[in-house]
Amino acid sequence: MRERAEDLLGRVVSLRDRHLSRPMVIVVVLAVVGLMPHLRSISVAGVAPLGWLSINMLVITLVWATAAQAWNIMSGYTGQFSFGHAAFFGIGAYATIMAIREGGLSPWVGMLIGAGVAAVVGLVVGGLTFRYELQGHYFALATLAVAELLRYTFNSVPFLGEGSGFFKPFPREYGSEFGLAAFQFQSQEPYFYLIFTFLVVITAVAWVIRSSKLGLYFFAIRERERAAAAVGIPTVRYKLLAFGVSAALTAIPGAFWAMYFDTIRPDTVFAILINVEILLPAVVGGLGTVVGPIVGSFVVTPISEYARQSVDLHGLNNIIYGVVLILIVLYSPRGVVSWPARASDLVARWRSPTGGTDE
Amino acid sequence: MVTAVTMLPDPAILLQLLAFGLLLGGIYGLVALGLTLIFGVMDVINFAHGAMMVVAMYIVWATATTFGISPLVVIPLAVLALFGLGVAIHRGAIAPIMDAPQENQLIVTFGVLLILVSAVEMVFSPDPRQYPIELGSQQVGSTFIPDGQLIALIIAIIAIAATWGFLHRTRLGRAMRATADNRQGAQYVGINVPRIDYLTFGLGAALAGLAGAVVPLFQTFDPFIGDRWLINAFVVVILGGLGSFPGALIGGMIIGLVQVFGLFFLPGSFYQVVIFGIFILVLLLKPRGLLGGDVYA
Repeated sequence: MRERAEDLLGRVVSLRDRHLSRPMVIVVVLAVVGLMPHLRSISVAGVAPLGWLSINMLVITLVWATAAQAWNIMSGYTGQFSFGHAAFFGIGAYATIMAIREGGLSPWVGMLIGAGVAAVVGLVVGGLTFRYELQGHYFALATLAVAELLRYTFNSVPFLGEGSGFFKPFPREYGSEFGLAAFQFQSQEPYFYLIFTFLVVITAVAWVIRSSKLGLYFFAIRERERAAAAVGIPTVRYKLLAFGVSAALTAIPGAFWAMYFDTIRPDTVFAILINVEILLPAVVGGLGTVVGPIVGSFVVTPISEYARQSVDLHGLNNIIYGVVLILIVLYSPRGVVSWPARASDLVARWRSPTGGTDE
Repeated sequence: MVTAVTMLPDPAILLQLLAFGLLLGGIYGLVALGLTLIFGVMDVINFAHGAMMVVAMYIVWATATTFGISPLVVIPLAVLALFGLGVAIHRGAIAPIMDAPQENQLIVTFGVLLILVSAVEMVFSPDPRQYPIELGSQQVGSTFIPDGQLIALIIAIIAIAATWGFLHRTRLGRAMRATADNRQGAQYVGINVPRIDYLTFGLGAALAGLAGAVVPLFQTFDPFIGDRWLINAFVVVILGGLGSFPGALIGGMIIGLVQVFGLFFLPGSFYQVVIFGIFILVLLLKPRGLLGGDVYA
């Protein structure tokens, strides 16, 4: 029985983008990302094709890549589509700042507290929604409602800073100095390598989950939940596990966000748009793949940040998001990472004797 | 007893709050109408609903200020324009993926939201605007009823009644309800379901346009106001039950009353926390709505 189940699962998963989760592909993609600050200065014939990328844009790109990687573990792998991961992103941001302000703790401790709180909230939300069997639209709306509930709660409770939020304390206010221990730096490069490290760690977690038996169970739930339950997979338990892990990991880029920018407010870290910025890279790159969230973030974030930061193009960044979202869903629902395979298919068809002009 | 009385404000104030709550509730019902129609018939969550409202606001505002005519005269124009916009959006973005997983349609309509809102922001600037119209108010006893909200409420009730009549008293409306009930069955008895989808999305957009066109009769607006209405409209739709029109009106009244009384008695925007609490409870315990389910069935 058990063997049959695993055989079935193996076949389900082998159909899907296996090569995109090979360690070599992931390592190469991450290596390119890590070298980005240097790649910017490479110039071909006097023109630097990546010269317009600022370190700030790269940092923000990696924040969304990291958050999307975390979102993907739940929504991409198990198919439980969350439209409310801003809840966990915001919890990570607020826990980090409030640990410093209220507890005099290190931001690193705050980040871990944030991850813990996010995991608990994720388990509670998951426990309720799975217990009452909310699916599809209803699940997406319930997760959105949780994120909005938190946004308005933080907006209304004085202890939580209300609408004006919190300023990031200086390192000396918590007995530290600029550097890794303080989670604050005086230049932007260290921030880049820090968020890059988070991305590498969370990508490693995603890869381990995806290539283990756990990943098989997750994908079986996504493909056909009833069948997965019928072959003996405790589906609710695994969905909860995915929710908890995903929520905790989403809090980490949230914590980074709080320590990178000067202020956090409910309307920035819990905003409706944050829900989209978290899921967009995974959807654009390729749902359920390990490199998808990273590639997807590089497709959409730098260009929209560029538009956002130039005054005369204000508003254009959201139009770019909107157009990319629609085009990807309509024409390439498996994401940008499926393009090489599609291209080689096309080439193969072109070269084949029936349709070919080759030879 | 005595303390309870002293803690409660003047009955006149309570009556005033009640009036405001019911006025606002009727408008919430109108805002939820197009959303619940598309949700009920097509099983699509239209995230662009609030953005469509905003487009209609600016159509009315721009036309009325340019030609110096009353915004009330231009409202039908905005409704027609939104019907066309809805059909175009359906053709370009929704129809090709009607059979895809639900989240695809959700993502696409969110994409439409981003495009519409940002386009309005780029064309008209993010500054708040108001209609070029002066409205007074009625007084009943000690209760004030602003004309803007009263007109909006009357339009809302007419629209709800007309849409109900269309769905229940015409062949096309019956075909629409049949599609909501059972898409495959509707196809079997010869209903052109893809065409019903066009009509539904167009009509839903037109109703969003109508709702958007009346909101500025009683408040200023900016390109981002759609989000606030959209989120509470979701709550109204779920509260009232998917595709239920009486439900939308009752759900609207509940949310309107919670908002008005919450604004008065609770600090800050805490009333929104209460609204989302209700929302989550209803999603969990009665996802088919307080009225117990689908009235199409």
